[in-house]
Amino acid sequence: MALLNNVVEGCVMKHSDFEHYQKMLDGDKQALEALYDKYEKLLYSFVIKLSSDQSLAEEVLQEVFIKLWTHKAKYDETKGKFSSWIVTITRYTAIDLIRARKQDSFSLEEETDVPEQSGESTEDIVEWKEKSETIREAIRQLSDEQQRIVELFYFKGCSQRQIAEQCQLPLGTVKGRLRLALKHLKQHVTTAEGGIHDV
Amino acid sequence: MSKECEKVLDYINGQLTEIERKQFEKHMETCSDCREEVEELRELMEDLPYSSEPVEPPEGMKDRVLGAVFAEESSAPEPESSVQKEDQTVTHHREHHTNQQEKSKRPKPSWLMRGLVAALALSLLGNLYAVISEPGQETVDEGVLPSESTDTISQRVQLQGEATEANATAAVIRQNEESLLTIQADQLEQLQGESVYQVWLITGETPYRAGTFVANESGEGAVAFSMDQLPEDVDWNAVAISVEPDATSETPQGEVILSSSL
Repeated sequence: MALLNNVVEGCVMKHSDFEHYQKMLDGDKQALEALYDKYEKLLYSFVIKLSSDQSLAEEVLQEVFIKLWTHKAKYDETKGKFSSWIVTITRYTAIDLIRARKQDSFSLEEETDVPEQSGESTEDIVEWKEKSETIREAIRQLSDEQQRIVELFYFKGCSQRQIAEQCQLPLGTVKGRLRLALKHLKQHVTTAEGGIHDV
Repeated sequence: MSKECEKVLDYINGQLTEIERKQFEKHMETCSDCREEVEELRELMEDLPYSSEPVEPPEGMKDRVLGAVFAEESSAPEPESSVQKEDQTVTHHREHHTNQQEKSKRPKPSWLMRGLVAALALSLLGNLYAVISEPGQETVDEGVLPSESTDTISQRVQLQGEATEANATAAVIRQNEESLLTIQADQLEQLQGESVYQVWLITGETPYRAGTFVANESGEGAVAFSMDQLPEDVDWNAVAISVEPDATSETPQGEVILSSSL
């Protein structure tokens, strides 16, 4: 029953995200605010995971919503979920800002002010609620090397060469290893979801 | 399996230069393996953000963030009417508001820097969501020496910056059938190490390199850049100068110090 509710909820959410997005394009501030309210915590937590830097996380969120509001970043409903899209924008924005800050000689090392975690409230994002523990568990089950590759590639945005160097792998094998690690993760998540496919 | 196929990961992570990226996108038009791989990896990574432990955002963040977002648009014409020509409206408008934004507590990137960062991310998204759309056209004519000519200035602007004493003028000069971008700057700071001043021409969301220079002892610098190296038939809507760690940045890495819309 709980699962069914989540699935139903998922459909409704997806629908209203897109509605909000379209209204936002027409200049509706409340629609942007609704999207902000829904995604603030997920995006903020995600950037903290990427950067461990609170001030950067706030700046990233600002950039992301400027991209939505001012630049009217293009979301195509047929290419995937709104949540995946906004998370992808956030990831690129964060990686760009982290790279830009690294040029600054001082900042990064000293600014690792990891904030308190806030307990289990994952707000109203269905995937987060459903999947977060499963995914963390799946990541823990990867080998150390696989965890490291995923970390470097996805969460740190490293280049193939950087990953090869840090993991002491031949350049040519990095892609295969990453793909395998990600496949393990996906498999684990799908199995844990009991075969109910996400909408 | 061509050399291009080795670029999948760096493409996904935005590690390619603008030119490499376009080449790779062109390559993907004909290489279904790469196309599928990019798509597959993207799908496989989809769940990863949800592994984040929930963290409570700081007090007042919503007001600060949305305040800054809406401030970008506050004196623009009604948003409804600006949808069609958003690029121009936004560019001009944001220039006017630079000062207000500078008052906020944390140092923020200037409006243009923000635009450039946005540009990069947007072009990356373009990569992932509209893989096959762009007909990457890069024609580089080399070795064509201009003969004698009567030159005319087709456009001239004064670049502005908030955090610098420096002044710069940009002019686009028509010379025969070609266009030259010239920049003259003074009161420049001397840069350390390999750092350089890098000129960018921006179209829509995409910055292009348009000349590199350093300051002489008197703090003066200049560039003459043949615009034939750039894509043709493009409306350039801004010119900017940033400080880059060295002369190789394919996209702005450092701070934009001077800029103007065109």
